Amino acid sequence: MRPNLLTRRGVLLGTAGVALAAHCGAPAVARSEPLRIGLLTSLSGPFTSLGESMRAGLELLIADAGGQMGGRPVELLVEDDGGKPEEGLRKVRKLIAQDGIDVLGGVISAGVALAIRDVVTEAGLPTFISNASANALAREAASPLVFRPTKTSWMLGHTGALWTFQNIAKDGGLTVGADYAAGREYIGDFVQTFQEQGGSVGTQLWTPLGTTDFSPILTTIAAEQPSFVYAFFAGADAVRFLQQMQEYQLQDLVKLIGPGALFDQEDVVPAAGSAALGGINTFQQSPTAPAAHGFVEAYRAARGRLPGEASTAGYVTGQVIRAGLEAVAGDPSDRERFRQALLEQPIETVIGPMRFDPRNNQAVLDIYVNELVAGPDGQPLNTVVHTYAGVQDPGPAG
Amino acid sequence: MRAHAWLLCLPLAGLLALFGGDYHLRFAAEILITGTAVMSLDILVGQGRLVSLGHAALFGGAAYVSALLAIHAGAGLMPVLLAGIATGMLLALVMGLVATRSVDLFFLILTLVVGQMVYELAFHWRTVTGGADGLRGIPALALHLGGASWPMSGARSLFLLAAGLALLAYLLARSFLAAPIGRALVASREQPVRLAALGYEVRRLRLLAMVFAGGIAGAAGALYPFVNLYVGPNLVHWSMSATMIVMLVLGGVGTLHGAFVGTGLYLLVQTYLSSFTDRWQLLIGLLFVLIVIFLPDGIVRPGWRRRQA
Amino acid sequence: MGFYLIQTLNAVAFSVLLMLCGLGLSLVLSLMNFVNLTHGASYLFGSYVAVVWLGSGAPWWLAVPAAFLAAALAGLLLDRFPFARFYGRNHLAQVLLTYGLSVMFADLMRLGFGAEIRSPALPDLLRGVVFVLGMPFPIYRLVLILAGGVLALVLWYLFDRTIWGAVVRASVADRRMVETLGLDTSRVFAVVMAIAAGLGGLSGALGVGMLSAYPGLDEEILLHALFVVVLGGLGTFRGTVAGAFILGFAMTFARVWLPEFAGFLTLLAIALLLVLRPDGLVAPRLRQV
Repeated sequence: MRPNLLTRRGVLLGTAGVALAAHCGAPAVARSEPLRIGLLTSLSGPFTSLGESMRAGLELLIADAGGQMGGRPVELLVEDDGGKPEEGLRKVRKLIAQDGIDVLGGVISAGVALAIRDVVTEAGLPTFISNASANALAREAASPLVFRPTKTSWMLGHTGALWTFQNIAKDGGLTVGADYAAGREYIGDFVQTFQEQGGSVGTQLWTPLGTTDFSPILTTIAAEQPSFVYAFFAGADAVRFLQQMQEYQLQDLVKLIGPGALFDQEDVVPAAGSAALGGINTFQQSPTAPAAHGFVEAYRAARGRLPGEASTAGYVTGQVIRAGLEAVAGDPSDRERFRQALLEQPIETVIGPMRFDPRNNQAVLDIYVNELVAGPDGQPLNTVVHTYAGVQDPGPAG
Repeated sequence: MRAHAWLLCLPLAGLLALFGGDYHLRFAAEILITGTAVMSLDILVGQGRLVSLGHAALFGGAAYVSALLAIHAGAGLMPVLLAGIATGMLLALVMGLVATRSVDLFFLILTLVVGQMVYELAFHWRTVTGGADGLRGIPALALHLGGASWPMSGARSLFLLAAGLALLAYLLARSFLAAPIGRALVASREQPVRLAALGYEVRRLRLLAMVFAGGIAGAAGALYPFVNLYVGPNLVHWSMSATMIVMLVLGGVGTLHGAFVGTGLYLLVQTYLSSFTDRWQLLIGLLFVLIVIFLPDGIVRPGWRRRQA
Repeated sequence: MGFYLIQTLNAVAFSVLLMLCGLGLSLVLSLMNFVNLTHGASYLFGSYVAVVWLGSGAPWWLAVPAAFLAAALAGLLLDRFPFARFYGRNHLAQVLLTYGLSVMFADLMRLGFGAEIRSPALPDLLRGVVFVLGMPFPIYRLVLILAGGVLALVLWYLFDRTIWGAVVRASVADRRMVETLGLDTSRVFAVVMAIAAGLGGLSGALGVGMLSAYPGLDEEILLHALFVVVLGGLGTFRGTVAGAFILGFAMTFARVWLPEFAGFLTLLAIALLLVLRPDGLVAPRLRQV
């Protein structure tokens, strides 16, 4: 029944850790079976680069942990969901039934996260959604064993609205977003909070996901001369939007603000270059956050670049799993005890202190306001200008 | 040859039904259901040389309707199947009316365009389809007969249901192709002008074939949501149609049963090879190209063809 | 007033980009009756070559020729194997072969250039804007429009007005007759294939300043190119230009007026046009033997 470790793509750090421990004459930890962590991420399809970063982040944490958690060696099994829920579901079933994983982490796309929710819940598998931000998972689709050590869309849209209202303008702005679930959530939550504060938002523009040419929208923005633009795009759309903003010389005319994905330090900023300068975003993560310092250096040493959301999420997921396992001495088989351990104690992570809301297992997080200013190398750097401490999603009642 | 294949298949299915675990049974059900849809595509591609890049819209469109009926009306097996078949046929009719005047590249593009319109609908009509996030919380399938009802939610009953559907659809497709209309479809591929001279309406013939294939794809689509209790827009996207063509070619165009072999091969490679290498797409692309170049009849009947031609 | 003038310019620039994408595909389709679905891969390859070239500090104005040559070379190799043996086959076989190859190329490029989004370091000369009636319009897009226009004219002249173009067209019309004249038609086809692939790379290099380069862009471009070519009508050069402009204007103004339904409306427009004109806007004269 034991699969041959050598033929798996799973990182063999676990076995390496055991060998090292034995070599140093440390107390024998090889008494137990390796703990199996499944990582469901995208290694093909539209989120490939995010998936590779997430894997790298988690691998870095496992290496930092010496290949063991809670006294047990760790084996990492990585599966590719291709960004498609159907594939993700099949892979999760395989990880549960065939590989017998103890915990599951990962998931980039909200569609995949929502699709696997029932399967992991039925199997009673402790699951950590590292990246997907769909509000529903903290509300009607919350599940007792599905933890989310990252933001909800609301947490970023809400704080973005607070900052904009207090520091940029109270009216005369417009919003533009990619027309799909995430875009609707971020922009909708921004507008709601902004109006609750007493502000008013002008035109709301939408463009199809995967828009190649933003010029019709940009000319509209140039004509309206808004006091700010709140925008949500991710990945290639974000790069193109920023570059075309610069191309039409709107970058210096209009204050641009958005959720962090628009200015992701790893995924967007290197490609967007100077087009990202001057932007503002609210994000649960920042390369300049004090808590991130050691991680940023380690990640740069490993991959030669600054971490963005996906790599940080991979690392943080590992930290949370590790903290939970330490609290139960490496044995998550008593699900309720494992759950309680995670709920009880705040966890220090590289995105700051984190505690889980017992209503929905959603992380309560510090949200950073980042401004893109030229860093030491001249490249735009997400620099923290303000921190909203302990932001909590309204949850099932809200 | 074919008899041998059947003799091999039946005990294999029986063994799986008796001893397979939940995961393997669900996987097998997914292969059989997707394979049925791919087989219906083979009627068009293999016999009519009508390469459709919109077939996933028929399959996935039926899956959406079936899932919506189950969620909002608590529909059981029979109504869900009927609705799926009707949806598949209706969408195929629309697609056919737009596309059957053309062949080759124009047919390909027109089916692609109509299919993508279905995708846009599924992706943007958020209040009904759940948009990009798809539909979840689909109740488990049940069969209501008279006053009684049997749950069909378990992996084993799903597998048996899928196997029954695949077998039935296969027999139906075979008899369709053996019937005069099926022969005429082959003739419309080989000699459309002569066939028209004989008094056949080639366009109507193609339309009928599309509606028939759409019905089978719709029946398969109706069951698909219950494998995962989830339906999302990827299922109707054109890239799913392209994947179905890849599956078909891997197994063998024009053989019907090759569709199941190709689907199984593709999904197995996708599920297992990707655990070992990030380059699984390169490998499946290479396999596909090699088959197109060297084994144009696919892997189920290497070498011997030309008998029926 | 200025608003609609600029939106029209936006539409023209996008149409020219679509035309550039469609030209290479249209060339092999019209001259050789070959459906080449690796065209999107040629485009993306050209984009990557341009990004690497511009990043290396080499003279920026050579980036486009470099992308053309690199993609043309790839096209030449593909012509030797396996395209040549598929020139005489039906569209189904060609579609399958080239689709499979495009899947492979997409993964190979991901391996070679990474999965990250790459964008070029444009020279300052191309980064400014001109103001038209008080509204900004980028110089880069003006250059794009100009380059597209010149290229279309050059191609039209080459294939329609020179003796060399006559040989190509004759090779398609009656290959054996041309060979009895002592001309090597397989070499003619190889050159056309190389030019077509090179055009894909060239449009990739020109478009990368607008669209960046990343895995998956090849498929998006291929779809756009197919729509353009089919809309215009197979086998005509003018048709491709017309198809590009109709699609470019439809997509741009759908986004100006009804952005939420832009995707659906564009598809609807394509479907309606093709139902009304099943052979495309500019149909070649039918020759059925």
